[in-house]
Amino acid sequence: MRGARISRWLIAAPMALLALATIYPLLFTANAAMKTRRDYVLDRFSLADTLRWDNVATAWTGAGTARYFLNSVIAVSGAVALLLLFGSMAGFALSHLRFRGSRALLLGCLAALFVPFQVIMVPLVRTMADTGLVDTYPGLVLAYVAQFLPFTVYLMASYYSAIPAELVDAARIDGNTTYGVYLRIMLPLGRPALLSVGLLNALFCWNDVLIALLMMPSAEHRTLMVGVTSLRGQYSADIPTFASGVLIAALPVLAVYLFFQRRIADAVTAGSTKG
Amino acid sequence: MRLGDPPPLSARPAPLGRADGAGHARGKTRRAGPLSGERLSPFVLMAPAVLVIVLFRLWPLLLGVNFSLTGDGDRNGVAVGLDNYVELFADPLFLGSLRNVGWLVLLLPVAVAIPGLLATFIHLRVPGHRFHRSVYFFPAVLSPVIVGSIFNLLLAFDGPLNRVLGVLGLGPVDWLGDSHVAMFTVVGVHVWATFGMALVVFLSGFATLDPALLDAARSDGATLAQVIRHVIVPGLSRTIQFVSVTTMIGMLTSMFGLIYVMTSGGPGGSTYLPEYYIWIQQGQMNRPAFASAASTVLFLVMLIVGLAQVSFLRRTGRED
Repeated sequence: MRGARISRWLIAAPMALLALATIYPLLFTANAAMKTRRDYVLDRFSLADTLRWDNVATAWTGAGTARYFLNSVIAVSGAVALLLLFGSMAGFALSHLRFRGSRALLLGCLAALFVPFQVIMVPLVRTMADTGLVDTYPGLVLAYVAQFLPFTVYLMASYYSAIPAELVDAARIDGNTTYGVYLRIMLPLGRPALLSVGLLNALFCWNDVLIALLMMPSAEHRTLMVGVTSLRGQYSADIPTFASGVLIAALPVLAVYLFFQRRIADAVTAGSTKG
Repeated sequence: MRLGDPPPLSARPAPLGRADGAGHARGKTRRAGPLSGERLSPFVLMAPAVLVIVLFRLWPLLLGVNFSLTGDGDRNGVAVGLDNYVELFADPLFLGSLRNVGWLVLLLPVAVAIPGLLATFIHLRVPGHRFHRSVYFFPAVLSPVIVGSIFNLLLAFDGPLNRVLGVLGLGPVDWLGDSHVAMFTVVGVHVWATFGMALVVFLSGFATLDPALLDAARSDGATLAQVIRHVIVPGLSRTIQFVSVTTMIGMLTSMFGLIYVMTSGGPGGSTYLPEYYIWIQQGQMNRPAFASAASTVLFLVMLIVGLAQVSFLRRTGRED
């Protein structure tokens, strides 16, 4: 028993080191953001002497980060709203309604899950350009919806399939139409799943760079992640400002993670155990 | 495993729409005329999702294959047969990107074993396991752009990591500037950023493992290595299969951000992956038809790698 305890601590030590290696890069960046340029060049490792916010302010206003931030918020909230709406509608239909072709639609949805964006991006962008959607917010939102909808439909359908049919029948006897059942039963009962799936989709969209690069070519339409990639060239000699920009882009994700860590992890594994 | 609170999720997609009472949904008491709103409602509910998925995901796939058989520039829209594919397989950059895919396949067992081993330790209640779980998962929610930017700072030639190595008496390594090293650096950063995702999946697999088996093995005096070999690996074969396939897909389709930020495919094209090559041909070279040919090849590569993996893992799973 004592031997077992000692060997557990032997494993715990390298694991703690690994945990340190996991958070240190972010702490290093946050620390660099608080330093003056001179301090950073002289000593990268020492702790910043005070919390100095001028670099963050420079990155926020000077580099156009504020605008990019807003663009990202617009695109992400539009995409998540549509994803949850379309996803819950289709998920309800696939799990509780019987209609001709439902099986085929479910299979089509699964097939789409396995078509990676890289494979369809060229014709997709061409279609978007033909319809005048490139470099517009609706275009970017639509591209995100298309990318993450199969997964959303799939998760919503499997969540809803656990809601007992008796509940739906009872609601019908009370005089609800199918739409009434959707509004009064499925949306309220689906809240936990909608929250998890919504969070996950928000992260995916917020973190995306490839779709945003292709869909929003003009500078004033850049999303925050695309903005961060351009910061590097702009502030290659001013690391603290560059680090501040990175920090601004990471903070919302960090906040969401601290609040909803468990839900995000659960949503990831919900996709995995059935994928 | 759970997506939220009850009702619990079913483990399989199969019973969707069928198992819970045949035909309960079609309102029997309502008018069921062919054009009534009630009868059309499933289609109305499905319509937005179907439209988006078909128009922007399935249709482009067909369009792309078709498109790859036409020309670019002067020959725009003209059928050119397999010309694009012939040119593709003569391009050293593209061949280099396929060689890098080969490296990824070879590194895959490492990328699966690391989170698997860590999940084992966490499951066996190593001190501080809760803390580890939440810390390890954190980088998985960060954008590749942020991760790449941070590591650009850390891995710069005169950056912190080389300083530390210098103190230890090890020569500076040109992590991103040496064509023999850069690809491994990028893959290493990718693994750093994503192992938490696989870890969480492994942990949910462990939840389905019978604890009595572990206890029995322990009381028989089995070593950790024996427990892993004879209890955990066979018990988690489905999870391992899932993690390897998704990790492979992740390596082939979500490293664009890292490559774009960290190396731009360089030095000397040594860190090209097919997805980056497609983007360069489409976005920078303005050769969409040629890029479509590369997309089609990437799709086939993924299909082959995925199927090979599944059949390989099935076979090894059966031996246990």
